[in-house]
This record gives sequence, structure tokens and C-alpha cells, in this order.
Amino acid sequence: MGAESDVRWRLVVSTTFEVFNDLFNLFWILGTAVTILVIGYILYNVIKYRDRGVMEDGAQVESPPKKQDKGLKLLLSTSLSAILLLVLIFGTFGAVDYLDNPPPGGIDLKVIGYQWGWKFVYPNGYIATGELRVPRDQVIRLWVTSEDVFHNFGILSYHIKTDAIPGQANLIWFTAREKGEYLIQCFELCGAGHAFMIAKLVVMDTEEFNAWYSSVGGRRG
Amino acid sequence: MVGVAEHEVPPAWSVKRWLTTTNHKDIGILYIVTSLFFLVVAGLLALIFRIQLFAPNLNFLSANSFNQMVSIHGLMMILWFLSPFAFGLANYVVPLQIGARDLAFPRLNALSYWLYAFSGVALVVSFFQQSTIDFGWTLYAPINTAQFSPYVGVNTGGLALLLLVTSVTISTVNFLVTIIYLRAPGMKLRNMPMFSWSILITVAMMLFAFPPLLAAILMLVADRALNTIFFVAPEGGAILWDHLFWFFGHPEVYIVLFPAIGAICDVIPTFTRRPLYGRTWIIGAMIAAAVISFTVWGHHMFNTGINPDVRKAFTVTTIAVSLPFDVMVFAFIYTFAKGRIKLNTPFLITLEAIFLFIIGGVTGVFLASVALDYALRGTYWVVAHFHYVMAGGAAIGLISGLFYWFPKMTGRMFNEKLGRAFFIVSFAGFNLLYFSMFIVWEMPRRVVTYLPETGWGFWNTMATVGGFIFGLSFLILFWDLLRSALYGTPAGPNPWNGTTLEWAIPSPPPFQNYEGQPVVTEEGFKFVSMNGAPHVEHESHMSPWPFLIGLATLAFVIGFTTNFYFFLAASVFGLVTLLGLVRERFVVHDPKLGERWPFLNIEKVKLGFWTFLASEVVLFGTVISCYVYLRFNSSAWPAPGTIFNIEHGAVNTFILLSSSFTAVLALLASKVGNKPALIGGLAGTLALGAAFLVNKFMEWRELFDHGVTFSSSLPGTTFFFTTGLHGAHVTAGLIVLVFLIYRAFKGWYLKHNHETIEYFGLYWHFVDIVWVFLFPLFYMI
Repeated sequence: MGAESDVRWRLVVSTTFEVFNDLFNLFWILGTAVTILVIGYILYNVIKYRDRGVMEDGAQVESPPKKQDKGLKLLLSTSLSAILLLVLIFGTFGAVDYLDNPPPGGIDLKVIGYQWGWKFVYPNGYIATGELRVPRDQVIRLWVTSEDVFHNFGILSYHIKTDAIPGQANLIWFTAREKGEYLIQCFELCGAGHAFMIAKLVVMDTEEFNAWYSSVGGRRG
Repeated sequence: MVGVAEHEVPPAWSVKRWLTTTNHKDIGILYIVTSLFFLVVAGLLALIFRIQLFAPNLNFLSANSFNQMVSIHGLMMILWFLSPFAFGLANYVVPLQIGARDLAFPRLNALSYWLYAFSGVALVVSFFQQSTIDFGWTLYAPINTAQFSPYVGVNTGGLALLLLVTSVTISTVNFLVTIIYLRAPGMKLRNMPMFSWSILITVAMMLFAFPPLLAAILMLVADRALNTIFFVAPEGGAILWDHLFWFFGHPEVYIVLFPAIGAICDVIPTFTRRPLYGRTWIIGAMIAAAVISFTVWGHHMFNTGINPDVRKAFTVTTIAVSLPFDVMVFAFIYTFAKGRIKLNTPFLITLEAIFLFIIGGVTGVFLASVALDYALRGTYWVVAHFHYVMAGGAAIGLISGLFYWFPKMTGRMFNEKLGRAFFIVSFAGFNLLYFSMFIVWEMPRRVVTYLPETGWGFWNTMATVGGFIFGLSFLILFWDLLRSALYGTPAGPNPWNGTTLEWAIPSPPPFQNYEGQPVVTEEGFKFVSMNGAPHVEHESHMSPWPFLIGLATLAFVIGFTTNFYFFLAASVFGLVTLLGLVRERFVVHDPKLGERWPFLNIEKVKLGFWTFLASEVVLFGTVISCYVYLRFNSSAWPAPGTIFNIEHGAVNTFILLSSSFTAVLALLASKVGNKPALIGGLAGTLALGAAFLVNKFMEWRELFDHGVTFSSSLPGTTFFFTTGLHGAHVTAGLIVLVFLIYRAFKGWYLKHNHETIEYFGLYWHFVDIVWVFLFPLFYMI
């Protein structure tokens, strides 16, 4: 991480990031616990029941296993897993209801992906290329589309993304909490320039933004 | 045992043997060796692009090369390595496990192999035609269309995929019929070994998963070659492709995974020396996962803007699909408990596969959550997750199976120390490679390079180092297996005290597997002498035609993309080789006795035909669904009767239904042995089928005259593609009819030899029924 760089990479900076982070932590804690428990339990059994003797050669073939365990223990372990999974499902539903339903007010922008860059169309008709300036503490709704192939618009630090598909506009939103510059990148392989399909999100104070916005007035929206 | 002794086929060192063999063990080895070759190619591609990603801002590869390598790496690993590797093992082991002498259709098995091998050659060739596929193995629309990717190599890659799907379809039919029809007496499904069970479930999934892929690629090739607009028009485009591709794509993950789980399920009881805990539960869990896997594809589309409630539903199904795997893992653990576990190489590698699969599974649950997927989509989290599942669970699990059955295949033991070295080195390399990717999960996948400020450099360096260590482990593996195959200590029939049927015969097994008929009893296996049984007639084990057909298809693909006259010559060559296959006398004897539940009284070839027709039903079902989807997705669609002339459709419906009637007459004549009536019935069917095509030709010409073309609009695109695909089926039927009439003149197909006419009738009626659906859909509604 370049401390000298103006671009911020990993700070908690938007409402959507907070929601993502809480949910991610829930998954991460449960997932890690389950993984460690299960792998630990496997190792415990393998070590405990390990047979150090050599394998005897050429013994007669036994009949195929006839009697089988009923498998009822499986019902128990699976039920426990199912309960954990239900927690994850309800956690997801809570988060996604928030993420899918942007609050009213704020600013609507159109985002257009192309080979290879991003254009941002403001309500007043001003079109910015490669740089998205927004005010902090306001709801920003982005209607994302593409004018050629399938792209994916993602703001790394905010952990939000949506596909940029020709012929349709997908909505994502965020409320920036902190001033700064953040990385926007394409997340769907879209040709030779894919890796360089980068733009910059600039979060400004409201007055600062208003001053800039009226200076680029362009056509009246 | 009477029949063919090994000396009647060319010896193992002869090239002719390997080009003409139809023996399932030979073909199994061909599959394994070829798939490992593609593993090396795709693995080297990965190592090369890992060098490019070693540090930020490197210029080792151009973006164009990088994108091609990433795409072919994915396609080749999944479709040309993993699945064929699994089916190499299945080819060798399944007949041995179920007590069969070979697969149900040995020549078709050879044909599957050669189509696969030559499709791989075509894929490699595509690299040298300007540019091959360079938009990812998922082939997303619309970058896959000619407008954005006009390279010849992309067409070759698409045709290579078509060849592969053909090979897979033939294999699917073959394995389904084999496992249903050729089980030895007493080998009931409930005591069939787990690996064979896993293959049965796998091929059942393939039957439903591959036709949608076939439909998608056919539409893509049509878009690229005929200018149809399935993936160009926004009404279809990206979303249509996503639906089609992932309806195939997610089941495909389990298609490559289940054979590995099957191998693991055979390794575990052998080395823990306990029966598998909850065997029936595992089988039930596999079936449940197979069914649910067809309902989860939407989790690949969380970002595409599909309906929010649908996204939630897909979250639930996707999270639910982890439960069956939960059952399997815990069944394994309960088998370990109270076992007497031998830590031989196959078991150690099974443990490795289970560990990696658990991590892959848990991280997959993250991706199932639609809210998390908004962040995880398109990142290295996805890459790490599916490599833990596919390279970890599937590939390492299958390698465990390879070690397990290696003594059976070669008659020699591998070197245990080198086997353990592979275990340690591969485990270390794998985790360094892919766990590093979890740490830098925010990084976009498939980028040729990244900025230094991101801080992703260190873990990318680690991943590259891990990649080379993982690659090194395969050198150890190959060295061990190659040397041991030649110089290893003799293994004897049953080095592991395995309890399944393949361990009850010598290693390697004799050419025809068993001395006598294997019978499964309560106590174990018996081999009932065939002495006193009627003399077993000579069976065939060699055919040059599968290889030649494969060669013809490669020439066909190269001709299609380069030179028209070469293409024509290749087509003629292809027809000649097909005719050669059909005319060849190839003798296979089915066992008189055996377990055939649940299809007790259906003849083998008919079973194969029904299975094939089932895949055709899914193919046409997919194509018709696409039409319905596009129509509902379009804001305007011409009213019925305004573009397509209902008179042409009605006349063709009448013609085709009449031709079904003549086909029935031909069958009746064949059964009673009336040669003139047979020829009359067949000729009538031929004439009506030809009339159908002529009428269709006139209809198409009228439409072209009115400006309705392949590319004019979605109604044109869907009409010409769907009825064209149907017309191609009619044409294929007519070609077969010409051959049947020729043979009928020579006195074939009378009385007890009427089956061929019956199978043709099944196909022909199916083609008619498809038309019965198409007619109202396009002309009336």
C-alpha cells in the first residue's frame, strides 16, 4: 500500500461497505469455525484409529459390505449444519434488502462502460470520462450500462458491483462517508484493455462538489 | 473362457493396437494419458501467466496472449482434462466393478475417445489462427460474437467444443446403457461399488447438462457463421448466454466432482477397513446434489440485474446444495472412526482432496450469498474457491483414484515414498498458490497486470511460487507412475485387500476381464465356468473407423475455418468413414444373464436409442425455450400469420405426419417379412421427407425475397435456426433412409432383423413430434 498515494484502498468509507463487512464477518467466523472443527475432527479420527502394521498381502476377497450402518448420526450433523445455514440465509436476506433498495433523494447518475473505460453522465448532462466526482453523505444511485460488450462496474473499497450489460441499466447505490479517492475497476474480462479499464471515484465535501458541478454546468438537465 | 485371447489383437507395443482398439481398458488408458497431456498443456499455460502476475506492472505477456492463455487454460482443464481423466478411470474400472466384459457399445466408446482427442488437437490448432478464444472459458456474450472477436481461431475453438460435446453425448449414452444393462448376476444397484454409482449419477447429469451447452454453442456458431443475432440483439445477448451457459455450467462442476467423490468412496473403506458409513445416505446425497445443481445457476447471475426475489431463491437453493456434501463429509468421518486406518498414498491423497474440498465448499457458501456476491463477483475469491473445489476436490480426488487403481492397471506397485512426496509437495504448493488468492480476494480476476499501490504484489508472488511447487509435484507424480509402470514390484491381484469385484481378478486383468461369468453372491464373488454353455462366437475388438472418423472431423473443422475445397473433401471423407463404420461387421455378445433393473425387458440398442433421444429432447427443449424467452423479452413481435405463411407450415405438418405413417408401415412389413412392402414403406418415407424439405426450401426462399433473413430480426433468427436444426435432423434421417433402402433391396431387415427399422422409426417419430411443437409455436401463436 502506497502511503504517499492519494488513492485509498481499504478504509471503511461507505454505508454499503459497513453492511457487507458485518455479513462477511458472520460468514467468516462461522466458516472458519466449521472448517477448523471438521478438519480437526478428521485429523483426530485418522490419528487415533491409525494402524501402523503393514498391509498383509494377497488376502482373500471378502464379500461386498452387507450390513450398513443406519446413518442416523448423519441426520444429526446435517441438521446442525442446516441451522447454521439458515442463520446465513437470514443474514443475507437482511443485507440484500438494504443493498437492493436505495433510499430516496440524492443524485442519479448514468454509468456507461465501453472498451475500455467508464463514462459518467450527470443529471445536468455533463459527461465525465474516467473520473466520478460525488458529494459525501448523499445517496448516489448509479444506473450502469454498457455500449459494447459485457463489463462489470465495481468500486473496490465500497464492495459494490454490478454488471454493465448492453441494452439494460442495473442500479447500485452508496453513501460515501469519507472524502478521498477510490479505485473503480472492471470485473468482467472484456478484451485486451480489461486490466486497464480503471476509473477514479472522488468523494468531495458538498460545497466543494457544488462549486465543481456548477463550473461544469454543460447542458441543462 | 472361449472368445478372443490377447494374441488375436496386436500387441501393446504396436501402434495399430492403439489406433484400432475398442477394448475398454485400452481406451481407459488412452483417455488417462491424453487427459494428462492436456493437464500438462493447460498447467504450463497457467505457469506462464503466473509469471506475468508475479509482480505488479510486468510486461512478460501481452494482454492478448494473457487473455488467450487464461481462456484456454480454463476450457482445457475442465473439458479436456478433468472430465476425460474421470472417464479414463471410469472406462477402465466401471466394467470391472460391475462384472461386464466391456462397455455396451465398444466401437462407440472408441469413437468418443477419438472425437475427444481430435477436438483437443483442434483447440490447440486454434491458437495458431490469429487468436483463439480470448474472452474467458465462460465465453460471455456479446464479446463472443464476430463483431468483437472476428478471429478464425474463435470459430475453430467453437467447433472443437461441438466435437467435444458430441463425444460426451456418445459417452453418456454408452455408460448409462452399460451400467443399467451389463451388470453381472447379483450385482444389484444397492451393492454396486461407489465409483460406479458416482459414474451413473454423473452421466445422468451429463444427459441433461450438455444439450443446453450444445444448443448455446450451435447458436453461437450460427451467430458467427450465418449472422443470426441470438447474442447480438440486446433482447437475448448477455443474459440469454448466461442462462444457457450456467444451466450447463453449474451441474458441470458436479459432473467433474462426482467421479472423484466416487473414487474417494472406494478408497476410504479399503484403507480404513470398515464398510463405508451411511452408504445409502451418500448415494442419496449425491442424487440430491445432482438434482439441486440444476436449480442453482442463477447464483452466477446475481450481478446481472435479474429479479431480486429470484436472486434470493437462488441464494437458498445454492446454500442448500451444500447440505448433501455435508452428509458425505460426515459419512467419511464416521467411517474413519473405529477404523484400522492404513496411511498409504491413495488414502493420504484422499485426505488431501477432502481437506481442499472442505475449504472450497465453505468459501463457496460465501458466493451463494447474494449480498456478499455483490462484492465477491469477478474477484480472486471466485478463482480461489473454484480451484479448491475443482483442482483440489476433483483433480486431487481423481489422482487418489489413479494411485488406488494403478496396481490394477499396470500389475505393478507405485513407489510409496514418491507417492507420499507427491502428497506433501502438492498439498504445500496448492495451498500456497490458492490460499494466497483468498488473501488478495479483492483483486479482479483475469487482469493481465495490476497497480503496485494495491498491495497485491506480495501474495501474487507467493501464489506464483506456490504454482511452481504445485507443478513440481506433478513431475514427481509422473516420474513415479512412469517408472513404476515399467519397473515397479509386481502387485498381485489385490494389493489393498479391496472388496470390490475388480480386485478379484489378476492385475492387469485379462483381455476379456473374467474367466467365466462373474456372479455376486451373499458370500462374495464366484466365477461360473462357461463350460457346457454353447460355444461363444468370436467377438470383435478392433475397428479402424472410430479413429478415421475422428480424423475426418478434425479435417472438417480445419476446412470449415480455412479452405472451402478442403472442407468439401473432408465432408466426403467423413461420410465415407461413417459408412465404413456402419457397414463393418462388429460382433458383440451380450450376457444372457444379469441385473437390469429398472429396464428389465428393453433391448440394449433400444435403450441406447431412448437415451440418445432423451438428450435430443433436452436439446430441442432448450432451443424452444430460447425462442420463448426471446419472444417474451422483446417489446414487439409480429402478430401470428404476418411473416410466416401458415399454409407452408400446415402442408409440412401434413407431409411429416404422413411420413410417420409410412415408417410404421415399413416396420410392420419388416416384421412379417414382406420385402416389397418394406421397400415401399421406406421409399414412401423418403419421398415424403424429401417433399418436406423441398417445401421448406421454397418457404425459406419466399422469406428471403421478403427480406426476412437470418440476420433481419429475432423472429427471423429464431425461425431459421429452430426449423433449420429440425430440417438438419430430417436430412440426417433421409441419409439413413437411403442406406436402409439400399440394404432392404439386398434382403436385410426381414422378420427377426426388424430392429434397425424400429430404431429408425423411433428417431423419425421423434423428429415428427418436434415439428408438432414447432408448427403452432411459429405459425399459429
